[in-house]
Amino acid sequence: MSSVANVADERLLIEAAQQDPSRFAELYEKNFHRVYAFIARRVHDRAEAEDLTAEVFHQALSNLGRFEWRGVPFAAWLLRIAANMLADRWQRASKILEVPAESLENADAGVDQEVERRAMLFQLVERLPDDQRLVIVRRFVEQKSVREIAQELGRTEGAVKQLQFRALQSLRTKALGKSDETLPREQTADAGAKVKH
Amino acid sequence: MNSLSVYDELDQAIGAMIANPKASSASLESGFADVLRIASDLLQLPRPDFKARLKTELEWVASARPLSSTVPLQATADANILPSLFGRDYGTYPIRRVNFATSVGLHAAAMLVTLMGVMAFKDKPKEVQPSDYVKILSDYVPPPGLHQMHGGGSGGDADKQKASTGTLLRTASEQFTPPTVIPRNEHSRLEVEPTIIAPDLKAATTDQVGDPLSKLMTPSNGIGVGGGIGSVSGGGIGDGRGPGYGPGSGGDFGGEIYRPGNGVIAPKVIYDPEPEYSPEARAAKYQGTVKLWAIIGADGRPRNLSVERSLGMGLDEKALEAVRTWRFHPATKDGQPVAVQIEVEVSFHLY
Repeated sequence: MSSVANVADERLLIEAAQQDPSRFAELYEKNFHRVYAFIARRVHDRAEAEDLTAEVFHQALSNLGRFEWRGVPFAAWLLRIAANMLADRWQRASKILEVPAESLENADAGVDQEVERRAMLFQLVERLPDDQRLVIVRRFVEQKSVREIAQELGRTEGAVKQLQFRALQSLRTKALGKSDETLPREQTADAGAKVKH
Repeated sequence: MNSLSVYDELDQAIGAMIANPKASSASLESGFADVLRIASDLLQLPRPDFKARLKTELEWVASARPLSSTVPLQATADANILPSLFGRDYGTYPIRRVNFATSVGLHAAAMLVTLMGVMAFKDKPKEVQPSDYVKILSDYVPPPGLHQMHGGGSGGDADKQKASTGTLLRTASEQFTPPTVIPRNEHSRLEVEPTIIAPDLKAATTDQVGDPLSKLMTPSNGIGVGGGIGSVSGGGIGDGRGPGYGPGSGGDFGGEIYRPGNGVIAPKVIYDPEPEYSPEARAAKYQGTVKLWAIIGADGRPRNLSVERSLGMGLDEKALEAVRTWRFHPATKDGQPVAVQIEVEVSFHLY
């Protein structure tokens, strides 16, 4: 029942965006992480993944009027655009570099579980507490060391490691649905306590 | 391993993964495998401001796009032939099909109206309707002048019979000898051709001079006096007074010039080409109205034109030139065409 309602909502959302392009922002919010995850899984480079993601949404916006609702989710249309874009890019690159044939095959727009899992993971990061999210971004996006992060935040390295641990634990729990029991037991001390190395 | 080392061990594993993302994590403790897998995925996490920046960018682009009431869902091959009709655009701006259809409709309607107008004019006999250029402003008041020549003529030498029938004779602007049917002095020392004062009649003449309206065959100069042929006086021919012909007096053709009204139906213009603009008036963008006096004869032709109110800059001449070419249904009195004098107003406007 809720699935049917979601499909109907999405159709209304698309028609609204076709009438008024400013409504496209809602479709963007719903599909950003999915498109980005799809591309990031294939290009393995953040900057390139961001460029391609931006290109996909710009193309989608400019061609939104030609989208015809046939019961296929809007995300599938976006991923088809992304797949075509990746294929074009790789075909151009293959004239200069040797690109494995399987890479081109991987550009197929199928919404696989891996993409969905990553998209959900990226969404979950946005919902982390501010201090945990900040540590995750500094550590994994900016790839700073724990010491640099600690200095920036004015906290101890142990506290930063603890925040990192808790953030990953939380993400694991929500993304994989696993309980904390499978992880090594965490110290009960406060994350802000002094930690000896 | 105490609990503090868990954070260290995880951080070390993460550090190694960041340093070499392709390295296998199989050697890690099984409890960290899922976390490190998540950590590996997080290495692809987009920059935190990227999503918001792209959203702002898209909103800006979307705001520049016009609202669309009807969205074409599928472009067909025909769209390449008439992109506007199928809702596509040539480049920067999208085009609505409804606008294209409206434009085509309006153009078709305009062409139809034009065609119908051309056909209507083509089929209709050429009859020029009265235009605003002619305005009969008032009854005729003859302008004062030294030589009023609007009467007819008559004469006679006191015969017992009225004037006999015959044709008119040569006309002239001056008369030296009045016409006679029966000459009284057959041995004059200086013969001068008899004439009447009238415009050129261009009528056939015979040897028998007389009043064309008379039915009497017996030659007679008429019962009038003073020479000529007729019943009154003046040296002309007819029933008038003077050296002309017909009723009235003073020469020229006889017959009254009427005024519209009192049983006289005003003439109606049937052909009134617009006057031309004089070059100097056009250059000066000079506009105004010229008033003319004109006699509209029983034949519908204007004559005896004179300027009542001048405009200058060559427009008076242009007005006279134009009105001379006009044609009227003549004024009528008791169903018969008669001559009337009217005031004609000729307007000059630059549009």
